[in-house]
Amino acid sequence: MKNRLKVLRAERDWSQAQLAELLDVSRQTINAIENGKYDPSLPLAFKLANLFGCRIEDIFKPVASDK
Amino acid sequence: MKSDVQNQAMSELTKNLFAAGLTGASFGLLYASGFGVSLVLGVLIGGLFGIALGFRLTNRPPKMRYPMRLARRMGYAATFFLLASMVYSYLIDLDLTRSQALLVTLLPTLGWTALVVSIGMAIASLDELQRRIQTEAIAIGFAGTAIFVAGYALLQFAGFATINVGVVLLVMAAMWLVGKLWTLWRYR
Repeated sequence: MKNRLKVLRAERDWSQAQLAELLDVSRQTINAIENGKYDPSLPLAFKLANLFGCRIEDIFKPVASDK
Repeated sequence: MKSDVQNQAMSELTKNLFAAGLTGASFGLLYASGFGVSLVLGVLIGGLFGIALGFRLTNRPPKMRYPMRLARRMGYAATFFLLASMVYSYLIDLDLTRSQALLVTLLPTLGWTALVVSIGMAIASLDELQRRIQTEAIAIGFAGTAIFVAGYALLQFAGFATINVGVVLLVMAAMWLVGKLWTLWRYR
C-alpha cells in the first residue's frame, strides 16, 4: 500500500511526533506507516482521513502487489 | 519552592524506583538461592540493577507506550511470583500432607497468573503497531523456547544434566527480547 501521509503532514508542517499525538498513537507507528512498512487498521485510517479532511483513498493507494 | 509538576515527577520517580528496585531485589534473591550464591549479594545486585533500570525508564521512557502504572504493576506481579516461588520451594520441603502440598503449589501459580494478566493488560494498552510488535515477539519467544526445551530434552536422553526451570524462564525472556528486536527492526 502506498500513501501520501508524509506529503500531507509536510503540508501542515507537522512533525511525526505531533501527528502521533493528534492520533493518540506512537511516533513509531506514524514512521512505519509513512515508510510503507505497516498498513494501519481501518479505524486509524478513518482517523487519519478525518484529521486531514479527505477520504481514505485520497491518502492510501493500493500497489500492484496488493491487488 | 518545588512546583506541582516537579513534585508529581518526583513522586513518579520514587514509585518507579521502588517498583523496579523491589522487582530486581526479588530476582536477585531467587537466582542467588537457586544458584547457591550469597542471598545478600543477590538482593543487593538485583536491587541496584532494578533501581538503575527504574531511573533510566523514568528519564527516558521506552518507545513502547506503556502507562508507567501498568509497568509498575508488572513489576509488583513479578515480585509476587518470585517471592511466592521461594515460599513454595521452602514449604514443599516440609512434611506436608498431599492436600497441603497441593495448596502450596497454587502459590506460584497465582503469582504467575498475576504476572501474565499484568503483561496482557500492558500489551492491551499499547497502540496497534506496538501491540502487533509485542504479539509477534511473544510468538517468536514461544517458538524459540519450545525449540530449546524440546532440543534440550533430547540432550537429556543423551546424558546431559537436567535443567533448572529458572534457566528456561531466562531463555524465554531472551527469546522474547530477540523477537522484539527482530520485529522492531522489521517495522522501522
